[in-house]
Amino acid sequence: MSGNYGHRLEFGTLVTPVNASPDTPVALARRSEALGYDLVTFADDPDQPAHLDTWTLLAWVAGRTDRIHLAANALTVPLRSPAVIARSAASLDLLSGGRLELALGTGSRDPDGLAAVAARGGARLDPRAAVDALGESIDVVRAVLDAGDPDPVRYDGEHHRLDGAPRGPLPAHHIPIWLGGTDPRLLRLVGAKADGWLATLDPADPDAVRTSNKIIDEAAGAAGRDPAEIRRLLNVSGRFSATRQGFLNGPAAGWVEDLLPLVVENGVGTIILTTDDVATMERFAREVAPALREAADRALPAPLPRTAQRGVAVRAKRRPGIAYDEVPASLADRAVEPGDVDYARVKSNYLRGGAPGLVLRPRTPAEVTDALNFARAHRHLPLGIRSGGHGISGRSTNDGGIVIDVGGINGIEVLDEDARLVRIGPGARWMDVAAALAPHGWALTSGDYGGVGVGGLATAGGVGWLARKHGLTIDHLRAVEMVLADGRVVRASETENADLFWAVRGAGANFGVVTAFEFEVDEVGPVGWAQFALDAGDPAGLLTRWGAAVEAAPRDLTSAIIMGPPRLGQPAVAQVMAMVDSDDPATIVAQLQPVADVAPGYDQQVVITPYASVMANASDAPHQAQGEPISRTGLIDHLTPEFAAAAARLLASGVVYFFHIRSIGGAVADIDPDAMAWSHRNVNFHVTAFGRHRARLDALWDGLLAEHLRGTYLSFETDLRPERLAEAFPPRTLARLRTLKERYDPDGLFRDNFAITPDTASRTTP
Amino acid sequence: MTDYGHDLLFGTFTTPTVQPARQAVDLAVVADRAGLDLVTFQDHPYQPRFLDTWTLLSYVAARTERVHLSANVLNLPLRPPAVTARSAASLDLLSGGRFELGLGAGAFWDAIEAMGGRRLSPGQAITALEEAIQIIREVWAAEKPGGVRVDGEYYQVNGAKRGPAPAHDVNVWIGAYKPRMLRLVGRVADGWLPSLPYFQGGPADLVAMNERIDEAAAAAGREPTQIRRLLNISGEFAPTGRSLLNGPPEQWAEDLAGLTLEYGVSAFILMADDPATIELFAAEVAPATRQLVAEERARAGR
Repeated sequence: MSGNYGHRLEFGTLVTPVNASPDTPVALARRSEALGYDLVTFADDPDQPAHLDTWTLLAWVAGRTDRIHLAANALTVPLRSPAVIARSAASLDLLSGGRLELALGTGSRDPDGLAAVAARGGARLDPRAAVDALGESIDVVRAVLDAGDPDPVRYDGEHHRLDGAPRGPLPAHHIPIWLGGTDPRLLRLVGAKADGWLATLDPADPDAVRTSNKIIDEAAGAAGRDPAEIRRLLNVSGRFSATRQGFLNGPAAGWVEDLLPLVVENGVGTIILTTDDVATMERFAREVAPALREAADRALPAPLPRTAQRGVAVRAKRRPGIAYDEVPASLADRAVEPGDVDYARVKSNYLRGGAPGLVLRPRTPAEVTDALNFARAHRHLPLGIRSGGHGISGRSTNDGGIVIDVGGINGIEVLDEDARLVRIGPGARWMDVAAALAPHGWALTSGDYGGVGVGGLATAGGVGWLARKHGLTIDHLRAVEMVLADGRVVRASETENADLFWAVRGAGANFGVVTAFEFEVDEVGPVGWAQFALDAGDPAGLLTRWGAAVEAAPRDLTSAIIMGPPRLGQPAVAQVMAMVDSDDPATIVAQLQPVADVAPGYDQQVVITPYASVMANASDAPHQAQGEPISRTGLIDHLTPEFAAAAARLLASGVVYFFHIRSIGGAVADIDPDAMAWSHRNVNFHVTAFGRHRARLDALWDGLLAEHLRGTYLSFETDLRPERLAEAFPPRTLARLRTLKERYDPDGLFRDNFAITPDTASRTTP
Repeated sequence: MTDYGHDLLFGTFTTPTVQPARQAVDLAVVADRAGLDLVTFQDHPYQPRFLDTWTLLSYVAARTERVHLSANVLNLPLRPPAVTARSAASLDLLSGGRFELGLGAGAFWDAIEAMGGRRLSPGQAITALEEAIQIIREVWAAEKPGGVRVDGEYYQVNGAKRGPAPAHDVNVWIGAYKPRMLRLVGRVADGWLPSLPYFQGGPADLVAMNERIDEAAAAAGREPTQIRRLLNISGEFAPTGRSLLNGPPEQWAEDLAGLTLEYGVSAFILMADDPATIELFAAEVAPATRQLVAEERARAGR
């Protein structure tokens, strides 16, 4: 077969890595980038002392460029450890922001190549063995790069042997492996295993590409692959001259004429211009590349696409019941499926290990509509909505279902400086929000952790370090823009879709995907921030005293306490944190003192610092949790001696490894309980316990603590029994939510995050 | 009391962490701008939580302007010497003479073997290191006639072309603790690069090790001063002095000056992963240490 393989047409340069003037190849690479080439490559001869080491040069050039992709042309594999090549490739891909491609070869481009490899201490291989070894190297490189697989690499080849090497690092993008050469054995290897083939055009025989393609395509077919998976890259060289004198020797139009059949008939997807001459590079970029692209689009039945289809290896990891090939075009590029390199970064969230079948990553409300339309056609599968992926309840991922990840909708924009009105995307994280507001002297109370995303928290509540002074996060919400289950984009505020606006503030996960939040934020200067380590030898006494001190404190102060299980032979220690919304040291100390005095202290730290620096407490690492989070949570009016005694028994059981109480009250209670779906306005504390065993935690919690609690906060709840919903929403609130659910999501598309059953009785019969 | 009289160098030893990938780069830029002399990264190619050190060094070299760079120390068993030689020369050429070659014989043999590397006994690894250094220096000797021929027990190079020569006289620094390695340092290295936290007896351990190096140097017809003594250090800045390298910057300067004047250390490489510590080390500790050492050397007439 021949013809075009449907790849996006790309252009690159091949630059000689001379070391006599090392700045020259670097300058040529930068020029390639400025001229719009997609790729710059450097030769890697096995024994050429006039050249720079190609890998070193690639890494250097990565540090001096921003956009252009980089590759060796091609890397002499036998002189390097394939496992080290893999880690180096992932490293350079990470450092360069996903710009590294791997072209590998045996070093035998000229007949002396294999001897030169041996002279430098590489293995002495005949041409057949060299290709075999290269095939093994591909296996090793791919295995090491497959960082999502937790098992170490074991590989028992003839030339390469790995015995339990850990995988990773995970590269920034899927690094394709291209093989360079024209040996028929190598071409068959390309067909069987590689993502691309890289060769140098013989100007005397342009038809050689066709012959080679035939061998590659047959080998691909024999391996059960689609030949279209394999990109064909061709190094070409020529001369620009006024009149046509031969193949790639003439005016730009003649070049286009010569190259067009290679693209249209022989499926070359990347043309790499071999030159160290800036004028040739410029002329090709300006006169040949665009004209060739245009001519190819004219000559082919359909224009060449932006991206290639996913290969067999990726398709093999697809989950049942998902119409992968029908993902809307607007989302296809950024969608992540289990075989994609980004999957390891998006499958799990903060506390839950996930294995979704498809992650859609919309960037606009229209794309969210596309994603929801696609999800509606997959009602049989779980549907998670993810912003920061941090929710304790872990509802933003699933097993085999669809996740709509709005992390990319993360803008933060001031709408009205005087009114302190700010518009924030659901994918922004609270530490980013805090950092963006700080220069204005503003803050918006959020949660207590900066890594949390805006979307999940601002549709659930938002109990944070400024709660007693400034209320919940949702108390500052003035309007949202959201996409409903039927794909409609609507705005909701006190004056538009007011009932929806009521529901979104506390039960938003049941009603749609918010794509923009508009908040009125507060003026907040530097704050007092304290961390105490206190003696928890008397846990019940500590809890009652801490609770009383916090309730008695001015609203400036918000506090939390963390306790753990008994530790053999070590004193029990509680961590107490507190924020005082004041920059006056005397005020801060006066307000903190009663809290610090509730038990003897081991250590303390008090600073005056911006709110944003307290929130800057999360890393940028992708979430990689495993297993299921196990927690229980509830709200409580006062930490009575009875509750504290029960909590002490819970802690003494050893079943709870993390026990956390945060103060609410204050400004939170100023809001009318009917003002929004969050209704538990006059509780003073939020209690959460994490355990390792579901049944044991439930039994203790239900038996010891439940009777003291009044209502719950679903963001921290992982118990799926239906009673939890009734605890989250009092009867009147729940009834109204069910009526609204019937109106906005009657078929229950949003049902995986504490589903509210639509009130079908309110359904009007026609 | 041994002071070998070298100018003092101050540098960083930063974790080449994968996540976030920019962290090591950003800290190197901090060190460069703060005026430190040296940025180094450990090299454990079998450790997927670290960036590949060679790739990182090359990238960082492109993002910095003045600071010298070295692995601390390069894992020879997974990095073939002939390639390493040309890579080192290339990086030195690209960076305008800012590369130094810290080398190690390898230590974690299970991990090296798991990566497909060759397992050697500690003794074999020392022989292999010496062969590798010979190959590297032969490759760098671009002006010598003929190809490189080293028929070692562990590395064979058979007629490979020489060159390129690096831009400057690249130092070969060796990480070493045991007697045979220390003798190798004395025989062939330009520097010795151990880590203070590994010394069970504290700085006093330096005395016997220095002597061993000096004896081996003399036996090879070299001056002990040809071998710079570098030291990886860790410490903490604290308002009041608590112990060695745990106190205010002035105390650090006194501690380090003592290490120079009494134990001959002339390069201090601080294990640090935060910009504030690096900046404090550069702005306060380095100049104060240099001044104390200069004063003492002047007093002693050295």
